[in-house]
Amino acid sequence: MNMRIRFWLTLGLVLLLSWALAQTRTLIIAQGTDPTSLDAPLATDSPSGTVVSHVVETLFEYTPDGKIVPLLVERYSFSSDRKTLTLFLRKGIKFHDGTDFNAEAVKFNLERLISPELASSFAFLLRGRVSAFEVVDSHTLRLRMPEPFAPVLAHLSHGSTAIQSPAAIRRLGTGYRDNPVGTGPYKFDRWQKGQFVELVRNEEYWGKKPAIERLRFLAVPEATTRMALVETGQAHVAVRVPPQDVQRLSARPEIEVVNTPSVRTIFFYFNQAKKPFDDVRVRKAINHAINKEEIVKFVLGGFGRPSDAPISPGIFGYTKIGSYEYNPNLARQLLAQAGYNAQNPLRFTIHSPNGRYLQDIRVAEAVQSQLRAVGVQAQIQTLEWGAYLAASNQPRDRNEFQMAMLGWGTVTGDADYGLFGLFHSSQQAPNGFNRGFYANPRLDRILEQARVATNPQARQQLYRTAMQIIYNDAPWAFLHSEQQVTAIRREVQGFIVHPIERLIATQASFRTSSQR
Amino acid sequence: MTTYIFRRLLTVIPTLLGVLLAVFLMVRLAPGDPAQLLAGEFATPETLADIRQRFGLDQPWYTQLGLYTLNVLQGDLGESVRTRKPVTYELSQYFPNTLRLTLGAMLVALLIGIPAGIIAAIRPGTIFDLLAMLGALIGVSMPVFWFGLMAILIFSVQLGWFPVAGTGTLRHLILPAITLGIGTAAILARMTRSAMLEVLSQDYIRTARAKGVAGRVVIFKHALRNALIPVVTITGLQFGGLLEGAVITETVFAWPGIGQLLVGSILARDYPVVQGAVLLIAVAFILINLIVDLLYGAIDPRIRYD
Repeated sequence: MNMRIRFWLTLGLVLLLSWALAQTRTLIIAQGTDPTSLDAPLATDSPSGTVVSHVVETLFEYTPDGKIVPLLVERYSFSSDRKTLTLFLRKGIKFHDGTDFNAEAVKFNLERLISPELASSFAFLLRGRVSAFEVVDSHTLRLRMPEPFAPVLAHLSHGSTAIQSPAAIRRLGTGYRDNPVGTGPYKFDRWQKGQFVELVRNEEYWGKKPAIERLRFLAVPEATTRMALVETGQAHVAVRVPPQDVQRLSARPEIEVVNTPSVRTIFFYFNQAKKPFDDVRVRKAINHAINKEEIVKFVLGGFGRPSDAPISPGIFGYTKIGSYEYNPNLARQLLAQAGYNAQNPLRFTIHSPNGRYLQDIRVAEAVQSQLRAVGVQAQIQTLEWGAYLAASNQPRDRNEFQMAMLGWGTVTGDADYGLFGLFHSSQQAPNGFNRGFYANPRLDRILEQARVATNPQARQQLYRTAMQIIYNDAPWAFLHSEQQVTAIRREVQGFIVHPIERLIATQASFRTSSQR
Repeated sequence: MTTYIFRRLLTVIPTLLGVLLAVFLMVRLAPGDPAQLLAGEFATPETLADIRQRFGLDQPWYTQLGLYTLNVLQGDLGESVRTRKPVTYELSQYFPNTLRLTLGAMLVALLIGIPAGIIAAIRPGTIFDLLAMLGALIGVSMPVFWFGLMAILIFSVQLGWFPVAGTGTLRHLILPAITLGIGTAAILARMTRSAMLEVLSQDYIRTARAKGVAGRVVIFKHALRNALIPVVTITGLQFGGLLEGAVITETVFAWPGIGQLLVGSILARDYPVVQGAVLLIAVAFILINLIVDLLYGAIDPRIRYD
């Protein structure tokens, strides 16, 4: 054989072999905590959701670039009155236990999600919105709704609506929580409690098969330890890089620090049921007194984005509304109009969690000092997270919070989820997430219309108006959208950090040494 | 002896009931609702009601306490609110790891602490004594958290000798065991030193020396055995302390033990798991104390149990 051909053949073989070897390695991902449950409707926290989303699939998918596209559904149609949604399911798909994916399975899962016995936190996604699930034939399902519900497709992309094997759920009972069976690209392999969950590639996957054979999700609570794992190569990916470690990690050639937006918006809400925040001038004054750019730059180390709407970009319904410019003089004038001045300064308490959101207490401190510059005397109080949630969820007459920090992740990618529960007057605490007791009848009407509107352009326009009203009423001091900072070793390519705080490894692969 | 053990075991029952009652009331007095935490920021009132009903949290506290006590007596510790698995299952997944870590730390403490104390005592005022006591001072003053992170940065990241975190092999155990054991080692060293010094000044030691017994025999056979009694007491107490101290070490080294489980459960107001874990630690503590008391008899023939 010709020497040259032999050389190229050998080289090709070696490359092929090294590529094949690279793909059989296990991709190791360090998360902050161990999953709590691997049963999709009960997987409420991000680490659980991340693991589960590799094993089970939803009817629709919320893509990282913000679109809702069919996944387990081949196509769908709405009736002309928009009260019936017909889902035509993909055929020929099997669950990991070999049973068929069909309309009965979908019905079983969606009814299970809303059942009181399961007590899923996400039952509200469909409960009351869908009144009946009718199996038309083996792969067609009809959803009947008492009134049109525009975000229904977005809600069917939410992780808790994933379709899991009914046979496995019936067979395993409570044991199913440790043993998920879905249709996804990876199969559950084992769970070492408190240590890791390991998944193995589903060789019979109906879609594009992943390149990497095994995934291992480690539970590492301490951030410094997570970073050390990536630095030593004992993990390939680590979430939540602390701002102070970003520079050191970025300086290492083998590590890439990736900065991804999140659908989570951070804000202070004002308790408008009480003085002083029942006065819109005061609320506007606070908004003008906060320098958002400075907070993002110096407190978050650049890992955030000043809010210009109550929801984040990438969510359906988002339009840039604008942000209150930093203007201490205007803030002082507004305060003076409301009757506050140097003789009678505005005093109140800011509540902030400590450790729930990125640099939360530091943000509160920055706001406190910026408020001091316009003559406002605010003191900060912090509570442990459980107590904090309980205190902020008290009804109007017992709610002691005046101005309090919270964050909201619009994880369905639809503005309804990010606006209705937070601003509609029916959703005031403790009935919903409107914890500042904000009420505007005009806004209520628009949010209701947007729920039942049929035309996406019309919805978009309604949300634009809604957000403009919210901006004018200033029920919040708008702050910023969080960013997710993730450390990824360069030998991994195609790893996705989804804005809904999910890590996706299905399209990831290991680079061979020649590609690096 | 048997009667003694039996009597001691009988006193365990009221102790455990007391622990149970105290923990039960404490977790419920803390603000924050488990249903709210479980449902998160998204909670709707219906969801909260579902969850409360599912876990019996809508019942008055005395009903809950009664039911809980009855179940515990039958060996049922309830179901975790967070993971929705039986608490006994959760504990069985985590406790063996804590036991391994604690035993490793105890070994580290004994291997460093007692020899250091002996050397310091037989050469008081020398450079050995000074170094041992300086080491002990540093050992007790060093925050566990900081020490653990430094150990990771130096021995795992820089030198690459040990894995950063996790469990599995003996090499995984070394750094966490040293981190957890170093404080106890320091206490044991100081304790051993002062006990040894006291014994060494006793008349019978002088007599033994005067009779011409070899120095090594005096130290190990006559002095050490008598000096060990307070050391054993402290070791027993420290062992219980290590079970608690594991909380921090386990977090730093991502060690899946009862400490990690307990912290996570407290933050999530996972009442059944918190109660179960505290009960388990209480049982371990009581058993260790019993073992320590029995050990006295083995070390010191003057102590008898009737």
